[in-house]
Amino acid sequence: MNIIVCIKQVPDSTQVKVDPKTGTLIRAGVPSILNPYDHYALEKALAIKAKTGAKVTVVSMGPNQAVAVLRLALALGADEGVLLSDRAFAGSDTWATSYALATTIRKVGQYDLILCGQMAIDGDTAQTGPGIAFHLGIPQITFCDSVDSDGQHAVVKKLIEGGHQIMQADLPVLITMTMPVDYVAKYPSFMAAHKAQDKQIYVWSAADINADLHKVGLEGSPTRVARIFPPAARAKGEMISGSAEEMAAKFVEILKKESFVK
Amino acid sequence: MIQVASNCVGCGKCVATCPFGALSLVNRKAVPNSSCTMCGACVSVCPVKALSLPATGAANVKKDLSAYKGVWAFIEITDDGKTQKVRPVGFELLSKGRELADQLGEELCAVVIGDGVDKYFAELSSYGADKIYAVNGAAYHDYNTIAYANAMVTLIKKYNPSVVLFPSTYIGRDLSPRISSELFVGLTADCTGLSVADGLLIQTRPAFGGNIMADIKCPDYRPQMSTVRPNVFKKVVTRPGSMAQIVNEAIAVPAEAGKVRIISKHFDETSAQEKLDEAEVVIAGGRGMKDAAGFALLDDLAAELGGAVGASRAAIDLGLRPKEKQVGQSGVTVAAKLYVACGISGAVQHIVGMEHSDVIIAVNKDANAPIFNVCKYGFVGDARQLLPKVVDAVKKAKGK
Amino acid sequence: MAKNDLTTRNLMLDSLKQYAKNRISHEFLREHDAKNEIPLDILKEMYDHDVLGVHLLLIPEEYGGLGGQTTEIYRVCEQLARIDLGIATGVFATFLGSDPINVGGTPEQKAKWFQKIAHENKLVAYGATEADAGSDLVSLRTRADRVEKDGKIVGYKITGSKMWISNGGVADIYTVLALAPGGPSWFIVEKGTPGFTQDAHEDKHGIRLSNTAGLAFDEVYVPAENLIGLEEGKGFLQAQAVFGYTRLMVAAFGLGAGEEAVETALIYAQQRIQAGGPLAQKQGFMLKLITPHYVRFEAARAYIDWTAKQLEVNNHGLATEGAIAKLYATESGNKAAEDSIQAMGGFGYTKEFAVEKIKRDVKITCIYEGTSEVLEMTIFRGRWQEHLKTRGQYYIKQAEEFEAIHAQHPDVGADSVALGLRALARVLEDCRAQKLTRHQYITFMLGDLISEAEVAAVFARQCAEGKVTEGSRFDLNTLKVMSRVNARLSAFKIATEGMKLILGVGAASAQDLSAGVNLVGIEEKMTGLINDEDLVSAKLRDTFKA
Repeated sequence: MNIIVCIKQVPDSTQVKVDPKTGTLIRAGVPSILNPYDHYALEKALAIKAKTGAKVTVVSMGPNQAVAVLRLALALGADEGVLLSDRAFAGSDTWATSYALATTIRKVGQYDLILCGQMAIDGDTAQTGPGIAFHLGIPQITFCDSVDSDGQHAVVKKLIEGGHQIMQADLPVLITMTMPVDYVAKYPSFMAAHKAQDKQIYVWSAADINADLHKVGLEGSPTRVARIFPPAARAKGEMISGSAEEMAAKFVEILKKESFVK
Repeated sequence: MIQVASNCVGCGKCVATCPFGALSLVNRKAVPNSSCTMCGACVSVCPVKALSLPATGAANVKKDLSAYKGVWAFIEITDDGKTQKVRPVGFELLSKGRELADQLGEELCAVVIGDGVDKYFAELSSYGADKIYAVNGAAYHDYNTIAYANAMVTLIKKYNPSVVLFPSTYIGRDLSPRISSELFVGLTADCTGLSVADGLLIQTRPAFGGNIMADIKCPDYRPQMSTVRPNVFKKVVTRPGSMAQIVNEAIAVPAEAGKVRIISKHFDETSAQEKLDEAEVVIAGGRGMKDAAGFALLDDLAAELGGAVGASRAAIDLGLRPKEKQVGQSGVTVAAKLYVACGISGAVQHIVGMEHSDVIIAVNKDANAPIFNVCKYGFVGDARQLLPKVVDAVKKAKGK
Repeated sequence: MAKNDLTTRNLMLDSLKQYAKNRISHEFLREHDAKNEIPLDILKEMYDHDVLGVHLLLIPEEYGGLGGQTTEIYRVCEQLARIDLGIATGVFATFLGSDPINVGGTPEQKAKWFQKIAHENKLVAYGATEADAGSDLVSLRTRADRVEKDGKIVGYKITGSKMWISNGGVADIYTVLALAPGGPSWFIVEKGTPGFTQDAHEDKHGIRLSNTAGLAFDEVYVPAENLIGLEEGKGFLQAQAVFGYTRLMVAAFGLGAGEEAVETALIYAQQRIQAGGPLAQKQGFMLKLITPHYVRFEAARAYIDWTAKQLEVNNHGLATEGAIAKLYATESGNKAAEDSIQAMGGFGYTKEFAVEKIKRDVKITCIYEGTSEVLEMTIFRGRWQEHLKTRGQYYIKQAEEFEAIHAQHPDVGADSVALGLRALARVLEDCRAQKLTRHQYITFMLGDLISEAEVAAVFARQCAEGKVTEGSRFDLNTLKVMSRVNARLSAFKIATEGMKLILGVGAASAQDLSAGVNLVGIEEKMTGLINDEDLVSAKLRDTFKA
């Protein structure tokens, strides 16, 4: 059985700060991490590997530094990595990214199960997984918090409005993973990190995957940022300060006035 | 990388605007570095139009964009295990869609796929739909990605709408990217504003995770597609009692749809009060609540006022509440009658998720916190000290 | 297997950080600090091969370890110190305790003991220090008497005591320095050997999460195969051989602890509103209590990293460089921790925040593995020889190198570095001519000035070569600004302190001396200093946001 996990390197959102004057992000010194949803998807793939002996290949698109997340994946137990890196991909929106990753996966060849994080924390779109599934012509199940496979089918727990459903899919299928509340990401031991150096990471360009250059980068991206602007300034509300007792009294007075307390 | 023409005057506006820190001034000229993602954010701020994205070939430009007409809203049917009904976000999309259609001078169409959907027609019409495309049949009883995507693509190819709106829900977020991929069109996620300018759909959303908004457009591709979270737009009955034109389409479900099967469905026993998106009173906490003890104070107040407890992204990241309790751009959007924000500074990403609430009360230590700019009442102080006293006072007021 | 590359090192550090984030909270540290208790479970877990296996770094690959390079070991030490210096010391003691085996052990000894340490996750302690023998091992009292059988040495009986031994009460394996008939020698003693007892552990000022205890040996019999290297009298050489390397680890401790303190203070100051704005926006606050410390940290990091890379090529030695790294980094870390308390005012003085503990902890780095004064002496001795050998040209030659660098790279402060080196050469030469080094104080201070000059030089050279030091959070441009600041301040210190020493004890004309060290030239370079420091402050605020 062959499993492919799509992963992305993202800035650690807990450390990204906003410049109060310009409203733009301060990225100086912000460390990069493996997108947490992808991290969880990878761990699920490795759990299936432990059970079935599947081969796990991790695929990422990004600059050369993104090799760090592939290495992390290899240290955690993935078998091989592919980094798709080319200036031609700059400016890709989710359409172009899905196309590029799907084309890469085709070149990898064998796949039965593709796992993705439900979304990247630096974009929050959740569009790339379904996009890849379409381009590969395979079904998808999105927003799953567990996945298992025996090599014939995949069984997942998928979140739906107000609950969840258990679903079964024939392979190949693409699954996007959300993560449980209490999820604590696993990190490799020093020895595992060391040994991961001997595993193969292929670095491919747009030419290596025979990408149609009309479908990648800016040209393959239908969306355009027309303008960015700070949110509209609003008038301040009625401000109350004082001792905790005074404020509590005022608080209840407001609740009564707005008739939340009768 | 972004291209800088020789007429750059070195004013530095683009440097301050770049969300990726990819521009700097070297010898009084803007110079991009390898962090440039070609997002184009700088292009619009340049006063001398010196910045541009590299030209793209005309290969992708659709033949005749004027052939695309009509604003569509995908109507989601929900299932609570017992009955099916229209998810209210569908009415919100129709209400906003009505405005857009009027501005464009085009029709507003509801698209509803399901089993026995004719019972929804009257209500959908009252929210302004000129036309309802219905794909009806037992095969569509449960949502299936391939079946629904096939139906939508078939309809879009047949009728060529200019705009298609989807709810940003589990179903909408599963379906819409599958369709946009097949049609090679743009899809903008989680829009907080939609408008029309020069015949184009302007899709507004918080961008780059920061306190900044972006307008996104898709000038060369049709239809223009967006997703919108529930509670972002108000639902307005604009045509009470009227009936839209009904177009029934028989579309066969492709065999591949059977590759994915539902084994069982499970519904949580959550009361409306606990459900954030339906709660009338929401008490939310942020990083300022510090720890579990701080959040317990929110539970106390919520119990007294009969409300649900939500959290900001910062508090979710601290592990104080599960992800589904997150209020904001990447969580749940609420439109409560009363929203109490405690220890939440008010990043845009949070504000877009709660600003449509009727009465907003904010409690924060920092008098300059942006949350105070959206609230009706702002208390400057430590919520951890204030809340216990408020709870006592409420109890007393209720005569306990 | 290949040596670890940068990506692998960063992976290891990430794993360590995540482990600490998940398992070692401030409350946990505070509780153990109050109880004066080593968290043995944590140490054992950090040794667990499936969790981290941090001790494998020091074990050569052929014995099941990672054969860690100096660079990753110092970087791990820096990260450990950021977590807790007591825990760091517990790990370090195993590193240090294994070193005599690494340096002097026979292949059979290495195979036996390293495999034991690697696979059974044993804690090790390094038993050298005695009541009368600290950094000065000559007065060693612990004896190892031969036990002979049929005219053959079959073992040794060790008698004596050791004090202040890290992991002393909790280790499984001890490497013990004792005086054998053939001279000082290292022995391996296992816990539980009859006659070997450990004292109660010390009630210390800081690093209270590390176990420190005395060891007592009452005719403790060890077989001859436990004599490291199977040859008596090699103990001092084996101890000296690793100083460059072990001192680099302690240097990284000073750096890591200092960074943690200053960053905590700065993040606090970003939120603390005083007189209408955050404290961190106030120039006086930053330039007095925060910015200069971070400049010294980046200088120290550049120097430590440079020395580590040298050690990887030369294997062992570089005793002077190791001493410079440790003196500079630990004294900088110590002073920074002190100012971090000041920066946080009353909050800094409470146990609610970590800086108070860091301040107590970091002090040890100025003491163990050679006190700052011993290091100053070592540095002075090392470079004094060079000064004499080259007839005063040692630093002049280097100054010329930096004048050339300045011509190519005018933005790294190489001009001030050159001025500092020339001033240093002049001060050394005056000391020689007037025989001032008979004053012990002067030798200490010269050691200090030498370290100032050499650290500034390495930092500026790295910047000129376009190198961003591994592990730095800043870009090259910021590092260049920091180097300019650092070079100016160190040149000024060398010139003024040097003058003070010579005028204080010798006979010289203040005017001639001032011209000799080119004080005016050095002062002229101060133009723009405060502006550069403000730039650094702004970068610090961007990088360490609340």
